[in-house]
Amino acid sequence: MESELVRLCIEAACENRESVEKWRRQRRSLERLPSHLADALLRRLIHRRLLFPSLLEYLFHFFSSFKILRMTNLKELDLSRCMKVTDAGIRHIISISTLEKLYVSETGLTTNGVTLISSLKNLSLLDLGGLPVTDQALSSLQVLTELQYLDIWGSEVSNKGAAVLQKFSKLSFLNLSWTNVTKLPNLPSLECLHMSNCTISSLLEGDGGKPPLKKLIFSGAKFENEAKALMHIETSFLSFLDASNSSLQRFCFLPNMEALKHLDLSSSIMGDDLVKHVACVGANLRNLNLSKTRVSSVGVGILAGHLPNLEILSLSYTPIDDVAVSYISKMPLLRVIVLSNTNVKGFIHQKGAEPDFFLSLKALESLNHLERLNLEQTSVSDAALKPLSSFQELRDLSLRSASLTDVSLHYLSSLPKLTNLSIHDAVLSNSGLNLFNPSATLKKLDLCGCWLLTEDAILSFCKKYPQTEVRHELVHILPSNPNGSNSPSPSRLTSRTLLVNQKQGNISISSSFVDQRLKYNREELLALQYSSFSLAIPLDRGSTTSQLLMNQSSSMS
Amino acid sequence: MRKEDMVKLISAEGFEFVIDKDAAMVSQTINNMLTSPGSFAETQHGEVTFPEISTTILEKICKYFYWHLQFASGKETEFPIEPELTLELMMAANYLHT
Repeated sequence: MESELVRLCIEAACENRESVEKWRRQRRSLERLPSHLADALLRRLIHRRLLFPSLLEYLFHFFSSFKILRMTNLKELDLSRCMKVTDAGIRHIISISTLEKLYVSETGLTTNGVTLISSLKNLSLLDLGGLPVTDQALSSLQVLTELQYLDIWGSEVSNKGAAVLQKFSKLSFLNLSWTNVTKLPNLPSLECLHMSNCTISSLLEGDGGKPPLKKLIFSGAKFENEAKALMHIETSFLSFLDASNSSLQRFCFLPNMEALKHLDLSSSIMGDDLVKHVACVGANLRNLNLSKTRVSSVGVGILAGHLPNLEILSLSYTPIDDVAVSYISKMPLLRVIVLSNTNVKGFIHQKGAEPDFFLSLKALESLNHLERLNLEQTSVSDAALKPLSSFQELRDLSLRSASLTDVSLHYLSSLPKLTNLSIHDAVLSNSGLNLFNPSATLKKLDLCGCWLLTEDAILSFCKKYPQTEVRHELVHILPSNPNGSNSPSPSRLTSRTLLVNQKQGNISISSSFVDQRLKYNREELLALQYSSFSLAIPLDRGSTTSQLLMNQSSSMS
Repeated sequence: MRKEDMVKLISAEGFEFVIDKDAAMVSQTINNMLTSPGSFAETQHGEVTFPEISTTILEKICKYFYWHLQFASGKETEFPIEPELTLELMMAANYLHT
C-alpha cells in the first residue's frame, strides 16, 4: 500500500511532459529508487500517456523490473547497453511474442538469458554483441529460422558454433568480430560480414550457391593464407571492403572486385609496389583510405588516372609530398582530401626555372567539387596557402601548424562557402583576428592552441559574428540559438568541457587517445559532463580525433 | 509550549527542524521510533537524525506533516510538490511511511 505522500509525489512527477523533464536527469535518484516505487512511477506514466519510447529506453537503464509493461504489439526493442537488463528482465521480454527486432548488446544477460530468446520465433534481427554467447547457446537459437541479422561480436562462439549458422537460411548480416571463429561455412544469403580482429583460415566454403556479398569488414583480421581464405568468395557484387590493420599481404584478390566503391586499406602493408591492384578496381571507387600505409607520391601517381569517380581520399600519415598533390588533382570528382601528417609543404622547388618554385596546392583549384581539405600537421606555410583563396566550394578546412600566421587568415577571408575552419597552434594575433572577415556561412571557428590570442579579442570577434561558434581555451561562446532547445546539443557538451578544461590549463592529447563517444553512449556522456571525469575529455575532441573516429567507426559499424 | 511536545528532526547536512510531536507522528516510522518501548536515544531526547534525507527534502516533509494535520481536520487545500523534488521526496516518504 502506497503512503499518501508517495502517491502525491508520483502524481506531481507525472503531471505533464515538463514535470517529467524536471526529474528525468536525476540519475542517482533513479538508480536508488526501490522497485515498487519504480513500478508505480512507470504505471502512472503509462496511465498519463507520458511514456514515449525514448523515455522508456532511458528508464530501462535504471529499472531492473518492468513486468508491468504489457506491450503486446511491440515489434522492435532496443536495450543495448542497459546493464540492469538481466536474465530476469529477459523473462518478461520473451512474453512479447510479436517482437521482430531485439537489441540486447552489452546488457547484463548471461548464457542462460540468451538461450531464453529462442522462444521469440518471429525475430528477424538479433543483436547479442558483447554477450557471453557460447556454442551451445547459439545452437539453441537455431530455431529462429526467420533471422536475417545476427550480431554476436565478442562472444565465445568457436568454429563448432559457426557450423550452426547454416541453419539460419535467411541470414544476410553477420557480425563475428572478436570471436575465435576461423572457419565460416557457406551462408548462401549473406550480404554483409564482419570479422574484424578474427584469425581467418577459410570463408564461406561449402555447397550451395555463392552468397551475393556486398560488404566485408576484416579490420584487424589475420589471415593464415589469404588466397586460400578468400578463394570461395563471390566478389563481383562487393561494394565495401574494410581491410584496415589486417595482415593481408598481396592483395591479389582486389582485381576481381570490380564493383568496389569503398576501400579502406589504412594501416595495412599496402605500398607503392602493391598499389597497382587498387588501380585495377579504381573505376567505381568513391572512398579510398590509404592512411598509415607506405604509399608515397609514386604510388599516388600510379593511381592518378584510374580513379575517375573517387570522392573521398585519405592519405594521412603516409610519406607523400607535394608531387602527390598534383596527381591528386587528376581525380576530378574529389570532395574530401585528407593530407594530414604528411610531408606536404605546399610548394615544389624547380632547379633552374624562374621562379624556382611553384605552389603545389594551386593544382587542386581544378577540383570543382572539393569541399573538405585537411592539412593538419604538415609543414605548409602562409605563402603555400595562397591558392586556397580561390577554392569556390571549400566548406571545411583544417590546419595545424606553428608556422601559420595572420596572413593565412587573410587568404581564407575570401572563401565564399567556408563553414568550418580549424586553425590549431598557429601564431595568430589579435589584430589578425580582428581583420579576419569570413564569409557569412562560417559556423565554426576552432582556434585551439593559438596562444597569442586574448580573451577580449576572441569575444569581440564573437560579437561581430554571432552566427559563428568559436572554440579556444579562453572562451566558450556559442552562436545565439533562436530555437532555444532544451536538450543539450553536442556543441553544448563541448562548451562544458571547454569550461572545465580551462580551469585545468591546457591538456595535451596523446596519440593513443580514444574518442570518448565510442566508450560511452549519449546518456552516459550527458551524465559525465557533471562529473569529474569530464576533465579527462580533451577539449577539441571534434576535429583532431575525427580521423580516429572514422577509422574506428568502420570497424564498429 | 512544553519541550516534551516537540521533536527535533535532523537532516543529512545537520540542519535541525523542531516541530510538534503531533505533526511528526504523521510518519508511521517516526511514530514507532518515539513510542517504542525500551530506551532508544530517539525516545529519550526527542531527536531523530536522518542521514539519508537532505535538508530540502526534510523541510518539505515537515511542511507535509502540518498540511496533513490540517487536511485531516477538514481544511481542503492542495499540497504543492515541485517536480524536481518528486523522486527524492518519494523515497523519503516511502521510508517514513507517511
